[in-house]
Amino acid sequence: MPHTSIVAFKMAYRNITRRKFRSALTILGVVIGIATIVSLMTVGYGMRTQVKTTLNEMLGAGIILSSRSGAVDVPEHVKDMVLNVSGVKEAVPVITTLVNVGEQPVFTVGINPEDATRLYHVSLEDGRLLKPDEDDGVIFGASTAATLGIKINDTVTLNVQGGGVGKKFHVVGFLRAIGAGELNIGCFITLKAAQQLLNREGYVSNLLIVLDDPSKGEYVEQTLRDMFEDASVVREEELMRHIDRIMNVINGVLIALGSISLAVGALGILNTVMMSVHERRREIGMLKAVGAERWHVLFLFLSEALIISIIGGLIGCGLGLAGVYLIQWLVSMIGLNLTVPLLIAPDILVGAFAVAIIIGIIAGIYPSWKASNVPPVEALRYE
Amino acid sequence: MFRRWRRLDMNSIVELHKVVKIYELGEGIEVQALRGINLKVERGEFVSIQGPSGSGKTTLLNMVGGLDKPTSGKVVIDGTDITPLGEKELARFRREKIGFIFQFFNLVPLLTALENVELPMLFSGKLSDREIRERAVDLLKLVGLEKRMHHKPTQLSGGEQQRVAIARALANEPAIILGDEPTGNIDRATGRRIIRLIQNLNETLDQTFVIVTHDPAVAEASKRRLFMVDGRLESQPPKEVSTVSPDALKAERRQLLLAELLWLKTSLKALEERREELHPEAYRRAFLSYKTRLEKIKKLAYRYASKRREHR
Repeated sequence: MPHTSIVAFKMAYRNITRRKFRSALTILGVVIGIATIVSLMTVGYGMRTQVKTTLNEMLGAGIILSSRSGAVDVPEHVKDMVLNVSGVKEAVPVITTLVNVGEQPVFTVGINPEDATRLYHVSLEDGRLLKPDEDDGVIFGASTAATLGIKINDTVTLNVQGGGVGKKFHVVGFLRAIGAGELNIGCFITLKAAQQLLNREGYVSNLLIVLDDPSKGEYVEQTLRDMFEDASVVREEELMRHIDRIMNVINGVLIALGSISLAVGALGILNTVMMSVHERRREIGMLKAVGAERWHVLFLFLSEALIISIIGGLIGCGLGLAGVYLIQWLVSMIGLNLTVPLLIAPDILVGAFAVAIIIGIIAGIYPSWKASNVPPVEALRYE
Repeated sequence: MFRRWRRLDMNSIVELHKVVKIYELGEGIEVQALRGINLKVERGEFVSIQGPSGSGKTTLLNMVGGLDKPTSGKVVIDGTDITPLGEKELARFRREKIGFIFQFFNLVPLLTALENVELPMLFSGKLSDREIRERAVDLLKLVGLEKRMHHKPTQLSGGEQQRVAIARALANEPAIILGDEPTGNIDRATGRRIIRLIQNLNETLDQTFVIVTHDPAVAEASKRRLFMVDGRLESQPPKEVSTVSPDALKAERRQLLLAELLWLKTSLKALEERREELHPEAYRRAFLSYKTRLEKIKKLAYRYASKRREHR
């Protein structure tokens, strides 16, 4: 009986439009719930992607070896010992540190230019790359350069944090964003320049170790641990897993927050359909008197809940995406230089919409069942 | 055009055998709304049933229409004993055999006149969508409303709404159309036109009607007049129909007793809940006074109920 369903939908829809204000409030409840979920999850998803790409930029290697303290005190010659471990393809010495440009802290990587191009797959926005041994040259990330107002051929002083003498560098190029995320590394100088700047010649902060074969990771990690008891040895895979765990917790909290507003939306639907059933007892009795069966009545009221949740779900998804822009704008207003990429994940949208519909059904089933229980004699009861 | 849908056998449409309906009001108090009704209505009859409110007219209509079940006795409609039918079968029975006309029209306010007439046919699902639409239009023409068929009930006058309801009642070619005060909520002149329409359908389509009413005009128009007095069906009007009947007074008294009974029970419960906060003596006194009154009322109510049983 497809036509019966169409009529039920029509009646449900007309009842919703008849009680415009009430329906609008109910729909608003669903909209807020869905929009919260969509925007929070989209931001969460963006953050996860962001963190991962940044990590990839920084590591791009299988294993990082660094000193426990995080200071620049890994002797450079350790590289040769590491290269002797079977399974290791390459070991790249780097210095990662924060330096000040004026008052602004900038994340700086000191690396030999030929290693950098091999490891980072960099692409230039403007200018050129550093030449080997160009120890007075610096390449800035495009967004950092924009923030600092630096142009190519400028001379910039990099100051070591916590005092020490600064050093002048010549700006030769700007790096473009890499992959999906924006480049978060502030600037590149040569390894030697970094050592000189920090006054730690012969030492590096990290060795980025590239493996022959990812499956050997565990073995290499263990060997390195045995060889250098004082060093911290971190496998990228493990780090990623760790970060995933943290992001899952954050995501869980976001979903819990959104669920609260969704529960409120569900209660709104429950209340609205309940009221509708209560007001229309005689009408339900009449429908039964003229031959409606239980399921006809059930379907009629369930349609009402369903229409509310479909409309709420659609608007909620749209508003949720708009909410992401709002959050981005708020973050930038606070002045945080932390751009969360707006990544529209279709599965989040589809999931949220499905959740809206499921909630509509769950919230609608009880009042609809109540309606289907109204006895037909109600049609002849006058009060 | 409607005649060809009628069956030609002339058996009786309604047969009630010793139908009794007792409503349990709780606390051992019961009201006998129907006291053993026997009734036979033949095809093509137009029966009116008059009686004061509370005499059981609506209950009788509920029984014949399959809206409610008798406590005892048998209800046979168009050859089917509906007494043992389950909920689903009763729904099917109602949409196939019964048409209803109500005092307050009971149209679905969300649907147009045309859609309201279509409803019973949609529920039964026997005709295609096009046939349903065509038949609904034909029926609205029959009651003289073809020009208003796309209007919603709120845009129609009372008389027009009742005509839509009559068209709806006719939709599934019911064996019988039951009316509950069809002229009770419209002005006299419009009421006359509704009565004439019913008479017309009765004569031209041989449509059977049983109508419960206060309206003498409806009764006069009917072919057979019956009277409902205190749960019984009479063929003669009772002598004191114009004054307030002692039965009505009794019913009122019974209701008051019941109301007080319920109130006392609630009070007792509330007292029990507040027991901790009260002085023991205050609690005892209140409890006793409630309890004494409750016993008294119970006795009274019980005597009332048993008296009525003896009366039978």
